[in-house]
Amino acid sequence: MDLKINGLHVEVEEGTTILEAARFLGFPIPTLCHMEGLTPYGACRLCLVEIGEGPRARLVSSCTYPAEQGLVVRTASSRVLRARRMMIELLLASCPQSKVIQDLASEHGVNQQRFEQEHEDCILCGLCVRMCKEQMVAGAIGFRGRGEHRTLGTPFDIKSEECRLCGGCMYVCPACQLRCTYTEPDKAVCGGCQNLRPPCVEKEQFDDMMCFMSPCVACEIDKA
Amino acid sequence: MRRLGSNDDLLILRGRLTDGGAERPRIVICAGTACQASNASDIIRVAKKHIIAENLHDRIGLRVTGCHGFCEMGPFVLTEPQNAFYAQVGTADVPRIIDAVLRGEYVDDRLYRDPVTGQVYRSRDDIPFFKHQRRTVLAANQKIDPIRILDYVSCGGYEALGDALSRGEPDRVVGEIKRSGLRGRGGAGFPTGVKWELLARQPGAAGKFLVCNADEGDPGAYMDRSILEGNPHSIIEGMIIGAYGTGATAGVVYVRAEYPLAIKHLTIALRQARDLGLLGRDVLGSGFDFDIQIVRGAGAFVCGEETALIRSIEGRMGEPRQRPPFPIERGIHGRPTAINNVETWANVPLVLRMGADEFARVGTPGNSGTKIFSLVGKIKNTGLVEVPMGVTIGNVVFDIGGGPSGKAKIKAVQTGGPSGGCIPLGGFDLKIDYDTLAKAGSIMGSGGMIVMDENTCMVDVAKYYMGFLKDESCGKCFSCRKGTQRMYEILDGITRGEGKLEDLDLLEDLALVVKDASMCGLGQTASNPVLSTLKYFRHEFEAHILKKSCPALVCRELTGAPCQTTCPAGTEAWRYVAHIRRGEFAEAYQAIREANPFPSVCARVCHHPCESKCRAGTSGGQPVAIRALKRFVTDQSDPLSYRPQRRPLRDGGKTVAIIGSGPAGLTAAHCLSLDGYRSTVFEAEARPGGMLFGAIPSYRLPHAVIEREIESILDENITLKCDTALGRDVTLDGLIADGFDAVFLALGAHKSRRLDLPGEDAKGVHPSISFLKAFNMRQENLAKGHVGIVGGGNSAIDAARTAVRQPGVKSATIFYRRSRDEMPAFAAEIEAALQEGVCLEVMTTPVEIATQGGRLTGITCVRNGFGDLDASGRRRPVPIPGTEYKVQLDTLIVAISEGSDVDCVSVAGASRIETVHDERVKADPDTLCTNRPGVFAGGDVVTGPNTVIDAVAAGKKAAVMIGRYLRGEDLMQPIVPRLPRVYIEPVLSDEKEAADISRTELPRISLDSRKRSFAEVELVLSEADAIREASRCLRCDLEFTESAHAASEEPAGREKLA
Repeated sequence: MDLKINGLHVEVEEGTTILEAARFLGFPIPTLCHMEGLTPYGACRLCLVEIGEGPRARLVSSCTYPAEQGLVVRTASSRVLRARRMMIELLLASCPQSKVIQDLASEHGVNQQRFEQEHEDCILCGLCVRMCKEQMVAGAIGFRGRGEHRTLGTPFDIKSEECRLCGGCMYVCPACQLRCTYTEPDKAVCGGCQNLRPPCVEKEQFDDMMCFMSPCVACEIDKA
Repeated sequence: MRRLGSNDDLLILRGRLTDGGAERPRIVICAGTACQASNASDIIRVAKKHIIAENLHDRIGLRVTGCHGFCEMGPFVLTEPQNAFYAQVGTADVPRIIDAVLRGEYVDDRLYRDPVTGQVYRSRDDIPFFKHQRRTVLAANQKIDPIRILDYVSCGGYEALGDALSRGEPDRVVGEIKRSGLRGRGGAGFPTGVKWELLARQPGAAGKFLVCNADEGDPGAYMDRSILEGNPHSIIEGMIIGAYGTGATAGVVYVRAEYPLAIKHLTIALRQARDLGLLGRDVLGSGFDFDIQIVRGAGAFVCGEETALIRSIEGRMGEPRQRPPFPIERGIHGRPTAINNVETWANVPLVLRMGADEFARVGTPGNSGTKIFSLVGKIKNTGLVEVPMGVTIGNVVFDIGGGPSGKAKIKAVQTGGPSGGCIPLGGFDLKIDYDTLAKAGSIMGSGGMIVMDENTCMVDVAKYYMGFLKDESCGKCFSCRKGTQRMYEILDGITRGEGKLEDLDLLEDLALVVKDASMCGLGQTASNPVLSTLKYFRHEFEAHILKKSCPALVCRELTGAPCQTTCPAGTEAWRYVAHIRRGEFAEAYQAIREANPFPSVCARVCHHPCESKCRAGTSGGQPVAIRALKRFVTDQSDPLSYRPQRRPLRDGGKTVAIIGSGPAGLTAAHCLSLDGYRSTVFEAEARPGGMLFGAIPSYRLPHAVIEREIESILDENITLKCDTALGRDVTLDGLIADGFDAVFLALGAHKSRRLDLPGEDAKGVHPSISFLKAFNMRQENLAKGHVGIVGGGNSAIDAARTAVRQPGVKSATIFYRRSRDEMPAFAAEIEAALQEGVCLEVMTTPVEIATQGGRLTGITCVRNGFGDLDASGRRRPVPIPGTEYKVQLDTLIVAISEGSDVDCVSVAGASRIETVHDERVKADPDTLCTNRPGVFAGGDVVTGPNTVIDAVAAGKKAAVMIGRYLRGEDLMQPIVPRLPRVYIEPVLSDEKEAADISRTELPRISLDSRKRSFAEVELVLSEADAIREASRCLRCDLEFTESAHAASEEPAGREKLA
């Protein structure tokens, strides 16, 4: 199967996704909800690429889109970047304390977020759900509700019989601060405040509190 | 029931059913969900009872059917064969209708009557609502009792299926559908034939599925529901035909659990079809097997999206997945699946029965057939309408829908549900088809059409849809879940007055990305409500953000009490009404006078915009008679007794020159005086008052009232100089040289516009203002013999009513180019004029003035018809050639509009003040500044002819701006919405009692004494009437003041308890 990614031809086997093909060629595509070994899900919308040409060109999530014969793909067109930056800005507005998200923001030059600041500890990427079900073969957690009421948890919010406390869910989580502070707290760096606009200018007085706090004390005070 | 073994059996059955000889008369009662909600069940019960009691079984038939579409008129009864349509019938009417049908007569008082023209229609097909439709799918509903399969069979049902099976060419079926050009009625418009062809080509060893998507979740849409409830067999037949054509082995109807009646009728229909051998194993003995099952959806909007629907059918969480693979390849349980909407399936038997070419003849190329819309919102005829593709939105809204339901003008229509967009009035000539609507930023969608009028706030509409979508997004993909939530937050902020201009850019950016980045159709169209309202109604967003006002008075935090918000001068109408209710008339006067120095004048002549938006009126009843209450209070009080709070003179008493002593000028002088500034008012005429004296006849506003009010305004800070005209006695440069620190131009609009017809300068032709002034100021009677007045505004009515009172006048006729409803004059004034004997000729324009020896002898007029919509949303009057007619006249008064007088303009020109069209002074609407620093302008001289209260408001604003200017402050300061602040304890009254009180109308002097006299026509309310009328107020203010009041009361309450 022959397709063209950013002008380069690549031949892949049937069933390969665009993401795999692009990474094979070395084109960087950021992802949050993708992990090798887990079923592609297409939830985080960071791996968007532009396919097709002319008026029929559209954005699709590369992790779920199977390579097609003759497909033309652009992984970093202005349309892709605009959408990707907006996604990161939205992520930053929800989970500013996640190191993974901060790094993404920094890589993509997103240095402000214009929405009302939230402090969520979950972006509902579903990695933990799939990890639990597909790799740990437990299926202890899942999604419930829809729209803004969608949450993640065990049935009826009671400790699940299926859960073996393996910690796989925490290991894969890109958003929760365990990632940030994980085993070596002193090495983690929180840059949440710097990503806000206007950036927190009084951070000196909060130097000692800057990091492992959730929500970031400086930002909260600034807001109040 | 005997199983049908072949198509021949079916034909024999139909033959037997239809060969019943002469049809007995029948009454048809709609029992669709909407009619059931308006008590159709009672009508049916009474009808049955009457038929049984009178033993009429053999003479009359009764058919209970599904929805006919005219839901506004439910419950209704249709008679056959008369085809008479009885609207909104009560149980008592039913026996009368039945008896009339038996006698072949009509019950004329219950027949449908046009609410506007009052015309009564004996045949249903003549009613405009039905006449302009083309009902092919919906037409069957009235002929079929949905729980009787034989009804369906006798109307040609299953004919297409039997024919297809007996011919035995599945490819022909698919080819026929393809050739018909039928496109998916669910909204996206994918060609059905192409979809079937793809399905037919899929390997089918493991089975293939057909799905009927009946997960109709758009707010305000109920087309699919009505088809399912009213004609379930049409869907079943369509699906069996589809299965035969594509080789599908199983069918699923995915229907919302919220449609219990649809599920019931469908279940019965499926059972009957199976019993008759039309469904299941060996359909009609052809050896072809196909069965349909019902899957009930749990009410998730997203499950209408095909991949989510498939997961839901499989018993999993309804979440879309990315396509490809498309359902046509991998659908339910991984098998090929074709999904079509209810309406598409209902069209299939029709296509085969009438033939593809015949079907394609309806509609436009590429958009064949008809489409059903549910027409709802602020429209006269709510209901289901079926029209050929390609008719315009205007056709549907005005011809079928009958136009706006209330007085407010229609401003937009929302199509396609939450995924669709709003199309403004300017786009009503767009054709309704998939491609045109998509280009306009909306979508066809499943067919919801929500009409919105001026009382609908478009920001609020966008917010409503976004709120719906943020709850109904499945939440799987981040762009849709967070995107809709964030868009909602921004919109909510704007409706609460917290929006910033940057928010609009952010909103647009975000909307475009959500549209681009989301996985399924829900997310990809979720931005449409925002994008389309931003595109067409950006000014409303800006009004919310910059002016902190909601033009439609919907957004609570920006509106407060509508009566206060709509008053240009910001009078707290709710406050004085509340005081009147409590019998506190002095406090009531205080509340009025604080906001308006001309309360007694406004109590008589104000056009009371407060009443137009009063919630007691907009919520379905009659508005509180606020002006009548004001009149009651002002008649109780002496203007001279009011002692306002006055500031000591500021800055050694800076002085302002005010040109014009009308309401704008005097209000400005008054407010400046209270604020500690001196002013000199220059008046060209011999006495102050401006247009109050000049233009308003004394039968509406007695001169003594004006004089007394002006007397109360003048004080030691105000110097009045009459007989001093700008340009003649003083000049702008001179005034500034004389040491005036600022100037306020408030000269009014004293020049009538001209007709621009030859002969206009002849004797006997008068501009309305000079006619009125001549009488009001100098008691000259210029009108004689037969008088014609051209125009439809208040000035025309004033001129006409003044003319009929003058001696030597034989008749007075108003000529207006549009319809009476469109006259800008106040309805009550028009009514009063007609009572006094003024004639009204509407839809007519003068085209020629006849003169003889320099004297007017008559005019020639031409009749007008309705043309296209113009920018104001009204139908343009278009002259009808050949309808010219002559009218003999002795006097002609031209009252088509007023500009400011030439004197003023020339002076303005000489003093380098910018003007508009050489007849108005150009001033910044926010600050009233002219181009010359220190010179302000307001009132009619800026706006053109306007109302007293607008002039008062301009005067108040000018005083604020001039004050700021004199103190060297910023003229533009943050706007704060005017919300009620003062708590006035409500008087509790019995709710039932209160609901029974109707609006009190102002008493008037008798018609006889009115005709020849200039005595004041309107009288005043009695105290009891006033208090009773005030008790009708809904007290919108309490929403804002009560909680604060309760909070401040609380500690005291606790102490009491302790």
